[in-house]
Amino acid sequence: MPLARSLSVTSLSGLEEWDEEFDLEDAVLFEIAWEVANKVGGIYTVIQTKARLTAEEWGENYFLVGPYVESNVRTQVELIEPTNPTLKRTIDKMNSSGCKVYFGRWLIEGSPYVVLIDVGFTAWSLDRWKSELWELCDIGVPWFDREANDAVLFGFLTAWLLGEYAAQCEEPPHIVAHFHEWLAGLGLVLCRHRHLPVATIFTTHATLLGRYLCAGNVDFYNNLSEFNLDKEAGDRQIYHRYCLERAAAHCAHVFTTVSHITAVEAEHLLKRKPDIVTPNGLNVKKFSAMHEFQNLHAQSKSRIQEFIRGHFYGHLDFNLDKCLFLFIAGRYEFSNKGADIFLEALARLNYLLRVNHSDVTVIAFFIMPARTNNFNVETLKGQAVRKQLWDTAHTVKERFGKKLYESLLVGQLPDVSKMLDKEDFTIMKRAIFATQRQSQPPICTHNMLDDGSDPILNSVRRIGLFNSASDRVKIIFHPEFLSSTSPLLPMDYEEFVRGCHLGVFPSYYEPWGYTPAECTVMGIPSISTNLSGFGCFMEEHIADPTAYGIYILDRRYRGVDESCNQLTSFLFQFCKQSRRQRIIQRNRTERLSDLLDWRYLGRYYVAARHMALAKAFPDTYIYVPHDPTSTSGFRYPRPASVPPSPALSRHSSPHHSEAEDDDEDERYDEDLEAEKDRVNIRQPFSMPFKNKSSVHGANGNSNGVIDEKN
Amino acid sequence: MSAEAFVTLATSDSYCMGAIVVARSLRRHGTTRSIVVMVTPNVSQRARLGLEGLFDKVIVVDVMDSEDQLRLSMLRRPELGITFTKLHCWTLTQYSKCVFLDADTLVLCNVDELFDRDELSAAPDPGWPDCFNSGVFVFRPCLHTHARLLEHALQHGSFDGGDQGLLNTFFSSWSEADISKHLPFIYNLTTSSTYTYLPAFKQFGHNAKIVHFLGVMKPWSSQGRTESSQSQNMGRFLTLWWNEYRAQKNCQPPASEGEPPHKFEKTQQVQREGAKSLFSKKLEISDLLLTQSSVQMEEMHSMTEPKDKEEEVKVQEGSKGEEEHHGEMHTTQLTSSEGDFHPEEVKGPSQFLPLSHTPVNSPVDEDMSPSRGSKDIQDSPLITEGLDNSQTKTRVSEADRVREELQRRQLWEAGQADYMGRDAFKNIKKMLDCFLE
Repeated sequence: MPLARSLSVTSLSGLEEWDEEFDLEDAVLFEIAWEVANKVGGIYTVIQTKARLTAEEWGENYFLVGPYVESNVRTQVELIEPTNPTLKRTIDKMNSSGCKVYFGRWLIEGSPYVVLIDVGFTAWSLDRWKSELWELCDIGVPWFDREANDAVLFGFLTAWLLGEYAAQCEEPPHIVAHFHEWLAGLGLVLCRHRHLPVATIFTTHATLLGRYLCAGNVDFYNNLSEFNLDKEAGDRQIYHRYCLERAAAHCAHVFTTVSHITAVEAEHLLKRKPDIVTPNGLNVKKFSAMHEFQNLHAQSKSRIQEFIRGHFYGHLDFNLDKCLFLFIAGRYEFSNKGADIFLEALARLNYLLRVNHSDVTVIAFFIMPARTNNFNVETLKGQAVRKQLWDTAHTVKERFGKKLYESLLVGQLPDVSKMLDKEDFTIMKRAIFATQRQSQPPICTHNMLDDGSDPILNSVRRIGLFNSASDRVKIIFHPEFLSSTSPLLPMDYEEFVRGCHLGVFPSYYEPWGYTPAECTVMGIPSISTNLSGFGCFMEEHIADPTAYGIYILDRRYRGVDESCNQLTSFLFQFCKQSRRQRIIQRNRTERLSDLLDWRYLGRYYVAARHMALAKAFPDTYIYVPHDPTSTSGFRYPRPASVPPSPALSRHSSPHHSEAEDDDEDERYDEDLEAEKDRVNIRQPFSMPFKNKSSVHGANGNSNGVIDEKN
Repeated sequence: MSAEAFVTLATSDSYCMGAIVVARSLRRHGTTRSIVVMVTPNVSQRARLGLEGLFDKVIVVDVMDSEDQLRLSMLRRPELGITFTKLHCWTLTQYSKCVFLDADTLVLCNVDELFDRDELSAAPDPGWPDCFNSGVFVFRPCLHTHARLLEHALQHGSFDGGDQGLLNTFFSSWSEADISKHLPFIYNLTTSSTYTYLPAFKQFGHNAKIVHFLGVMKPWSSQGRTESSQSQNMGRFLTLWWNEYRAQKNCQPPASEGEPPHKFEKTQQVQREGAKSLFSKKLEISDLLLTQSSVQMEEMHSMTEPKDKEEEVKVQEGSKGEEEHHGEMHTTQLTSSEGDFHPEEVKGPSQFLPLSHTPVNSPVDEDMSPSRGSKDIQDSPLITEGLDNSQTKTRVSEADRVREELQRRQLWEAGQADYMGRDAFKNIKKMLDCFLE
């Protein structure tokens, strides 16, 4: 689903087209992945959102290839006759040789063609194909690894499809085949082995071994170059998968990953440096009204506030208008997702806010699904009590209004002392008494199944943040995905994110990281790390990410404690901002949407395809790489007006990155209107950057890049 | 009386292990009928040899190399390949009546009374009781029926892609026409029923006559993993299966005696009186076992285990020049079987069979790290030696190489690639580079 954003604040000057002089001629593109029309994990999102742009570029010559899963096909795919005569012959031929291959339109944006292969139907060939694989490269696949066996079938079937297609073409065809992840990788190896006229691209979204090693609490990034890969993979019983993945990476004409951090990982774990990084994008929908996202933020925020009123009934001793909502969301991987250092930083933030006598209250939401026995009574009661107070107030208001009306009817000003009678006071007093509460507001909204061993709850116990009155940081752990039908917090994820002030994603292992990207598109600032693909990407593209509400935590070159201090200082800085500053910051954040739009990011995929074509068919295609800066893309300039608060607070906050220090004097310290700020950023070249940036080629430069490498 | 036979089918080397158990369990319970196995051409020569001593007849079925009609069918519907092979049983017209048993079944008592039934008798499938399960069925070989089956397959295919769908549409009146053709469920007790209807299993399970290991997990592939993932009841049947399989290894003659390696069935049982009585006792009390706790099971094993080993050692003492290895082997096995019996049990049998999992003496063995796979290999010299003796040691290195390849692949497929040794990725990479220009 595309995320909405407003039209008027887009259109940055830097994002012009890469006007390529690249004639695709008669080339066809097959994009092959296990998650085509088959949602298993995050790759589905990548492929599904990217399809529209690719379909626009390749038109009738673009085919996605995936597994046939009946339940998915019934809901997402319209089966039709193949439109392309060559492909029709190919599919007919395969179907008459004991395969089941389907053709259809995938009913998503761009409605691309899909070729779906029934893998189970060809299971009778598994033994033969496994023998062939063994002959080919000495890789055996254990019988008990169902996924890997599916990968073998899928690989042989896709190679068969491509080979058959090439054979059915009258003229020697130019085929580009883009394979995603190890599950599809075998098809690539076979294409190369059979010397098919196919330009191959292999994209890993994360390496198998990286995922396993990080999940095992290994000091991953500091030892990247030292792992004995074969041993690590073998010991973890994934040796065959790892071999398939590495073989695909080795054989591909062009190898890509989704981020620079994964590129480093791949270089060490797959022993091949990616030829190009192809970041993941989103489909950004544009609003017609200006700053619509700000209104949405206000609406959603008030709904979260309602929930808070109920949750903290009897303890509402803080000002809800000075209350900031932070959240972390994602799969429940306690340390991979950085929940550990987030909790620690919250404890430190609590201390800082208390000693500074801050009037800000921070409420941190943890949205991470765990095993539960549904909502607990105390949380539900909170919402019921709130509802009751609301009803009481409403009843009294009705009666008050009636008396007022009657009094006015007879031409008298009402006697205020008689407006509320004794009965009204009684019901109001009773309602107030009902809000008495002996216990603290609960941390967890659900009854956990593993309460005693739950890592978040245990950390909360250790750091002692129990939502007591004196704490300036409160914690709410919602161990379930959000749903608009929930009796507790009836909002879906998108609404919830819009209502929050800051997303916190201090992940240790995050090959891309759609969560902060989604925040950005909705205009919500976020904290990510330089170990996440998103963080790397932003760091590379924006001169001063912090000013744009993209806080990037250094977890790569610092120890845990230092990172934790840095996170604390980010949070503390954020708490010190005024409401106006936050609004300006949100505007800036939202303006980065274009960066994350496939319309911009798709170009990396385009480049990868051109590169592959030129490698596979050197006689027909020539790939001229862009000048070195172009692959690193466009860098957002520093905004004209920097929110003053971070700059001011810097001296008082204990830790902050050095990069931000050197330029404070040159910064504008004025509190410009958000609107004005937008106008400024439209002409980035006229901005008075004196210290860091060397604005070059102001008008002629193809990218309008401001080179930020000092 | 015209001849009657039990028929089974092995489509790969691992299914041969199952076929062996089918044959052995039938013999143990004193069947008076012949036992026949059909094998596909991809089953290796060695595995086929292993079947020859046990079965009255080993028939190689190659659908691609048969009469025109069948070959044509195969070409038109390659996905039904295995099914066509199974249908081949209808051509065994030297027998008047047959009972087909899938290779993943285990016979728990004499079932010769099945021959009183007529074609086509079968037990209901637990998933859809109006269909019969084609793991156990009674049929009359007849070329005419066979031809009609093929025609039916070509016209209608199979609704489940296998033989069961085909046979159920062909014998479509089974569910209502004649109750005498409904075999009781105890003749084809699928192991999944233990969790789909546990109370019924508790009530009737001890009457079971034939157990059918339906599903992806076959007894021969259990690899010691089963204990955690499977139900207790399933686990007990698995143990019975392995007992039957193990029983065979004790019957294998000492290689040095120069007998044909697999003609042991009748003669060896006498020799191995001790072992036999232990195992038959176990099988006799199998009803009891079903109601016993698994703890007792394990106790029994720890009792029988050491005896088995002594037996093994004695057997091997016949072969010369192996004493040094003996000591080693003996201790490894003893230490390895401490605690739970599974790893040993799983690996034990395969070493004594010229079958898919037979480890072969290979140069890597020495530098194997003490990981999961190593036990296998440390033990292997003995067995190989035994085989070599029996096969007059005239193997050329080429054949050795092929065997070694086969064994390496089998280790891979058991998840035990030698990733620190010769299966290291750098060797794979070399092979890849061969075709990358």
